[in-house]
Amino acid sequence: MSEDEKQTHLTYMREALAMAELALQTSETPVGCIIQHPTHGTIGRGMNATNRTRNGTMHAEFIAINQILAPPSQYTPDILKECTLYVTVEPCIMCASLLRQFGIKKVFFGASNEKFGGTGGVLDVHLGNGRGIGGKEGDYEVSGGWLREEAIVMLRRFYVQENERAPEPRKKAERVLKLEVEPLGELSGNGVD
Amino acid sequence: MTSATFHGPSNSTTSNGIVAQLAGTLIPLKTTLETSKDVKLLNVFITAVPLKKASGTLSLIRQLIPRDGGYDLQHLRRFAKPDLIPSAIRNSYFASSAESSDTELIFLIVAVASIIPKDILLDSLQKDRVEGPVVLVEGQIPFNAPTSAEQAKAWTNEYWPTVYKKSNPFGPHPAIVARAQAEIEGNAGKWLSLAWTVAAEAKTARTGEGVGVVIVERSEQGERCLAVAGDARWDNWPRDCGGNGNVTAHAAMRAIAMVTAKLPNAIPVTETDIFRSQPLFSLETDVEEPVNKDGYLCHELEIYCTHEPCVMCAMAIVHSRFGKIVFEKRMDEGGITADLNDKNDGLGHGLWWRRELNWTMLGWEFRRKGDGNDGNECRLPWDVDNGLNA
Ligand SMILES: [Zn+2]
Ligand SMILES: [Zn+2]
Repeated sequence: MSEDEKQTHLTYMREALAMAELALQTSETPVGCIIQHPTHGTIGRGMNATNRTRNGTMHAEFIAINQILAPPSQYTPDILKECTLYVTVEPCIMCASLLRQFGIKKVFFGASNEKFGGTGGVLDVHLGNGRGIGGKEGDYEVSGGWLREEAIVMLRRFYVQENERAPEPRKKAERVLKLEVEPLGELSGNGVD
Repeated sequence: MTSATFHGPSNSTTSNGIVAQLAGTLIPLKTTLETSKDVKLLNVFITAVPLKKASGTLSLIRQLIPRDGGYDLQHLRRFAKPDLIPSAIRNSYFASSAESSDTELIFLIVAVASIIPKDILLDSLQKDRVEGPVVLVEGQIPFNAPTSAEQAKAWTNEYWPTVYKKSNPFGPHPAIVARAQAEIEGNAGKWLSLAWTVAAEAKTARTGEGVGVVIVERSEQGERCLAVAGDARWDNWPRDCGGNGNVTAHAAMRAIAMVTAKLPNAIPVTETDIFRSQPLFSLETDVEEPVNKDGYLCHELEIYCTHEPCVMCAMAIVHSRFGKIVFEKRMDEGGITADLNDKNDGLGHGLWWRRELNWTMLGWEFRRKGDGNDGNECRLPWDVDNGLNA
């Protein structure tokens, strides 16, 4: 990958991070994404909305796809087959399947999602719907580790913020914001270089 | 049974030719851990001692290796008579032992092999021995407790006498499953029938595939139907661009959206959206208010599905914290089941019960009465392509 290409991906990932920041300001889990089309540019943006909607399925990816396709829309659903998703945290199993069924072309993500991840964290939905064999219709490319530290710091800020909001704040020691991030582990090693 | 509503005659038929209460049985689902073919094994040292020395040897072992080095061997018999252990272990022991055949011996598991070197173990046991050298043979034992009596029996024959204690380290406790099953089995056939009925409407109206879902709240006041949703992937959606339709409008996603939209302070995403959380048929409007007015997501609700939900819907059901899931038709791309289907073509993800996902529920497959292994599919109201993401 050329330095130019790398910088382009980082620029898009910063746009996704801006969405996560927006989520943080409205007490939503700070996960943000953008959907990028090669000629139309950024055609959709999303941030987690599970708190606002009370619906646990309203993840950033759903919101961004809705933004692109909700009427009145200038696009037809097959536009997603030409698009790349930039998302601050690895898509969960649900969203990885959503993206697969809509035929997304490629996914760039920041932090790995070891609890719910659908593109490597727990399952490989992007490869044969998790069968472990690729080359199936609907498979998409995935690249992780982009602005990972920033994505993680954002999540930590959220947990500190929510703990302070809670009626009985936890012990002070637990509330101290941990800003240093452990080095990229082996599991999430498909990094930025 | 606490049902306060509906006890329709089991043979009454709706306008779609679907019986109002399906007769059938609920089969508890298996977890990914239960269906894993690999039995995790531990290497152990085994010896035999004269019967009268048994307790003395065990206290010596307890001194040497307190709490078995942290290994839980509760599911295994510590001592076993020679005729109860696999012949391979017995033969291997007697091949190296000079024991006279008239001493009554008992076999025992001495220690997990990885936690103590064999020579140290031999030395320590030898000090306690009056005559002849101590013989240690190596064997393998199942690391985890068995999940059924049959499994315990098979392991007893293959590895070492194993006890089934009706516990389940790989899934929900059998007693909890049994209690929950007794609760739901009275009306599961009715809710499924309703799901098939709305599926028929979606299919006939061509707004979606023939897939349907019903969400039920169970409380002291009985069962309340909170949502009825048919698949709506083709509702106001172009069919000519070769895709899978509106993925966000699968029946389960719609039903979840319908329930959560009524929660206190719920705000819609946008004024117009693609989520199809508004009812499309009168059947979908005919629902009740929940008893629990300030519910959280779909916490502890029950979801009844005509088809095994796809990976997206299965994970949506986990995220929404349902308490129970029941479905009828298994799907190749289904995300719920852990064991493969008859044609061996499932995914095996078993999302209904995976510890790492932070939420587990109880789950059943509904088998219609009268369906043999061969007649299962043709008895369903219609055939949906098995490769569909339901
Ligand atoms: Zn997600
Ligand atoms: Zn689905």
